[in-house]
Amino acid sequence: MLCVRRLRSLKTALYVSVNPGSRSLTSEIIQMENPYKEPQKGCTLCNVTVDFKNIQLLSQFVSPHTGRIYGRHITGLCGIKQKEVSKAIKKAHSLGFMSVTHKHPQFMKDPNICGIKHLD
Amino acid sequence: MPRYELSLILKAMQRPETAATLRRTVETLMERGAVVRDLENLGERLLPYKMTKHNEKHIRGTYFLVDFYAAPKILEGLLDHLHRDVDVVRPAVLKKDEQAPKANCCGNRNEKND
Repeated sequence: MLCVRRLRSLKTALYVSVNPGSRSLTSEIIQMENPYKEPQKGCTLCNVTVDFKNIQLLSQFVSPHTGRIYGRHITGLCGIKQKEVSKAIKKAHSLGFMSVTHKHPQFMKDPNICGIKHLD
Repeated sequence: MPRYELSLILKAMQRPETAATLRRTVETLMERGAVVRDLENLGERLLPYKMTKHNEKHIRGTYFLVDFYAAPKILEGLLDHLHRDVDVVRPAVLKKDEQAPKANCCGNRNEKND
């Protein structure tokens, strides 16, 4: 019994809102781009060419203690750039531009791009 | 003709000897029909690790970069020649990619997802 009453009240509520006299809201919706859209955030190397000769840039993605290349979860780079950096570092190793087991001491004072804190 | 880059590490020598080695290398390139476009000197520095070549341990070296256009079939012969040169520590020929960084490389992918 109670449900029937609630259903009836629901029905009346629904019918009251749509007034055939006034213009309905559906016809007035203007299609527009989301005004609160944030600009696309790229990774730190967006629009930066990665080269095996640029060892200063490559050394920023390498551990200062062991010379190991940091993973994606540490560097925060997108897929394409991470692969490019990794390939460039390996190329620099084999061509004799960059050391394998350590980071060049000249580049130790560079700002930290990767989200890693060293207990120094 | 495709564009190549020769990354050359020479033994740490006096200036006239380095010049003579470079001259020899560029002449070899030109003899084999390559067109040398650019020659860059990246300076003499401590090598990142000790390199053994021609029964000698090298600690210091001079880095050079030679841009050239050449036919692909000369590369094997050229690398063979460079490996035999006593003054050259590490030669390497690479293809040169003519691509500017793709505009919005990260932005493009995000837009596609939307």
